[in-house]
Amino acid sequence: MLRAETVLGIGVSALVAVLVLPPLIAVMVTGVGAGFAPLRHTDLVLNTLLFGLLTTLGALVTGGALALALGAGVPGRTLLERLVVMPLYLTPLLTAMGWNWLGSPRSGLLNLLLHAAFGPHVTLDIVSPAGAMAVAALATAPLPFLLISDALRGLDPALLEAARVHGAMPARVFRRVTLPLLLPAGLAAAMLVFVQAIGLFSVPAVLGMPAGFYVATTEIYRLLESYPPRIADATAWGMLLLAIAALLTFTQSALLGRRSFVTITGKAFRPNLRSPAAPGLRAALAWLYVALATVLPLLALLWAASSAFVTADFRLMRFTAAHFAFVLFGYPKTWLAVGNSVLLGVLTASLVCLLGLAVSWVVLRARQAGRGVLDQLSMLPLSMPAMVFALGLLWVYVRVRLPIYGTIGILLLAYCTHYLPFGVRTSSAALRQLHPELEEAARVAGASWLRTMRRITFPLVQPAVLAAWVLLFVMAMQEVSSSILLYTSRSIVLSVAVFDLWENGNPSDVAALGFLQLAASFIVVSLVLGLRQRRGVT
Amino acid sequence: MSAGAVSVQALLVAHGTVPAVRGISFEARAGEVLTLLGPSGCGKTTTLRAVAGLEAPREGRIAIDGRTVFDAARRTNLPPERRGLAMVFQSYAIWPHMTVFENVAFGLRARGVADGDLAGAVRRSLDLVGLGALAERPATRLSGGQQQRVALARSIAGDPRVILLDEPLSNLDAQLRLAMRAEFKALQRRLGLTAIYVTHDQEEALVLSDRVLVMRDGAIEQAGTPAEIHDTPRSRFVAEFVGVRNILPCEVAEAAALLPGGLRLPVREAAPDGPAAVCFRPISVQLFPHAAPGAHPATVVAATYLGDFMQYELRCGELAICARGLPRPDFAEGAPVFWSVPADACFLVAT
Repeated sequence: MLRAETVLGIGVSALVAVLVLPPLIAVMVTGVGAGFAPLRHTDLVLNTLLFGLLTTLGALVTGGALALALGAGVPGRTLLERLVVMPLYLTPLLTAMGWNWLGSPRSGLLNLLLHAAFGPHVTLDIVSPAGAMAVAALATAPLPFLLISDALRGLDPALLEAARVHGAMPARVFRRVTLPLLLPAGLAAAMLVFVQAIGLFSVPAVLGMPAGFYVATTEIYRLLESYPPRIADATAWGMLLLAIAALLTFTQSALLGRRSFVTITGKAFRPNLRSPAAPGLRAALAWLYVALATVLPLLALLWAASSAFVTADFRLMRFTAAHFAFVLFGYPKTWLAVGNSVLLGVLTASLVCLLGLAVSWVVLRARQAGRGVLDQLSMLPLSMPAMVFALGLLWVYVRVRLPIYGTIGILLLAYCTHYLPFGVRTSSAALRQLHPELEEAARVAGASWLRTMRRITFPLVQPAVLAAWVLLFVMAMQEVSSSILLYTSRSIVLSVAVFDLWENGNPSDVAALGFLQLAASFIVVSLVLGLRQRRGVT
Repeated sequence: MSAGAVSVQALLVAHGTVPAVRGISFEARAGEVLTLLGPSGCGKTTTLRAVAGLEAPREGRIAIDGRTVFDAARRTNLPPERRGLAMVFQSYAIWPHMTVFENVAFGLRARGVADGDLAGAVRRSLDLVGLGALAERPATRLSGGQQQRVALARSIAGDPRVILLDEPLSNLDAQLRLAMRAEFKALQRRLGLTAIYVTHDQEEALVLSDRVLVMRDGAIEQAGTPAEIHDTPRSRFVAEFVGVRNILPCEVAEAAALLPGGLRLPVREAAPDGPAAVCFRPISVQLFPHAAPGAHPATVVAATYLGDFMQYELRCGELAICARGLPRPDFAEGAPVFWSVPADACFLVAT
């Protein structure tokens, strides 16, 4: 007798395999066979590695310091914890553009102030390799912050107390106990940030390309934008990124396989970290980050969007709503892009949540052969930069000739696969919190599998899944790296429209459209959360 | 076959390549409490879950109420919801997003009971466990004992013939455990339920059961009434598990055990073949301050206060003997004593 669980297991495994494997294999096959362009451009390979390495270092130090600072307790901790992760909801593209308006050498707002105060020789040049890395680090710091904060919360305070009781000074406890215990989380975060950094397109495109600083992603973009598009060379660069990411993933599991620390006790974490800095100083550090990563770029964006023209001179500044009017009513792509983006965001978030829940249920609950393989398979996109995956998709669907090419269907495919690991991770976390006996009790009480899912499992994981849905929606709304390769004029999305205007349009219009993108995300998220509150589900 | 009986034949369950249950057979008769007793990892919970349909066995046959629910040979394997069972889980598995009422009503709804008949049945079950007043309370606002009662009410709401219980009392504190034990026993008698009860607590097993199966490494080590299990363990493992502290390897001659040091203890039963050990409980040991007929000299090594009685560790030549008795000042540590044990309290087990 074929049971519902079995059908689900087989169906989910097949679906994940179809989503993940063809583009991956395509990149590997064509990338290897293309004469391997990166070999002839070692400077770009070095640029990519350097960009990845320094961005990771910056993000890890920033995120780790923030986690320790907030973990040790600061005034206004709850508020700060929310503000610090805001860059996840902004987009790296908008952050980079905001910083461009703040720190471009001649017209940046900060440079105006610097020039006024210290003369024309003191200049902050954000449109540079260093600037790109700094902004990329600011934009990706929330990731290590979240991972290390989690690890801190999971630390058994008794481990630290035991070190103190046995005679270690606070600094020694920190060095010999706290840091080593945080090492696995730190390594995991470093790996994730590095893969994200070398796959990051928008920041090097906005702040690197104008300064002649190219990395793999911007090179892929340049190769595809050239006429005729040099797809084979671009894929070879994709293969390089893939190889680096795969190597890192492998190294990480080899490193962590041997030392995993189980320190979770379920007890609430007590802030006895004894950070060397005073609470006020720690709060100041966190606020500085919030200012640099969120407030200043947003203000610059607002300033650019509402200026009559972007000027270096305070005395000439005029403010106007014309740019907002233009992007709302004059720019032909706006509403098409808004519609596409919102539709894609809703579909991506919903499908990824559903598929993630199905995968994690099969992996955690079904007694099915091969569920370990399913688990690994669903995590593969984690080590596949979005742009590389898009290259693979292009290759596959140009040949297979499914009617989704040139529609938002192919974007949906790319998004769903790229964010699948996130969906699986959050669902797994939620399912792990549910004792399996809650489901088994329903089965024994006479409920079918489907009824058990509907009445027991879904209601109980709903809060966690909804939180994941919101984040997925926002991330899908801001996706640039793969969209920029897969869109057509009919399937343009907001983030691509913003980038398009950035390359070819008026800077103030870009800023206005960027605001519109933020507003669209904000409105949909508020609607969803409001709906949930009205239904009284908590 | 009578109603309410559960029959398990040649049941084999394996997790991967590791067998958890190695081809066991047993039967729970209608209206009796059958207990699976054993240490953790002995396969008792796996067996129970296989009866419920929550584990997929490799081999064997399971019938409930005369109906085959699992048969490896015929590839029959009814899903849990079609086995018509009730089950109380170790974690209680009270659904936290429902009220007490909804928890109890869930199974009735799933089995298609109309809303009109529902309320009465739910009330009756809640009243049976003394929770009638808490029907509308959210399940998250219950104490451990109340959760246990809701789990019980939920399982009996559908008028089951067979109820499975997986260490239902292990999460309660000692006092509550005793009270719930008595309540469950009364309820089971009143409703005439056939119960299969899993526990690692030998006292619980002896008090509750009509019959006990002691399990070890996925096999049944010994089956019998509580008295049989308690008084006549057939192996060293069962003897240790039911709290026999004195298990002394010995030679067997006629109806007596020969111990090192020339000690001879008469036993009540003929010897099994092969190497044996003589067993007796600490409570069966009689202590004397002076020499007495048939008593052996020993020294008190430790005297431990256990509330109602003292526990004495004795050294008798090479032997260590454990005895229990009322506190007496002349049995202080280091004091010489004499001990004997009646023949009908001594039995032999194979080792």
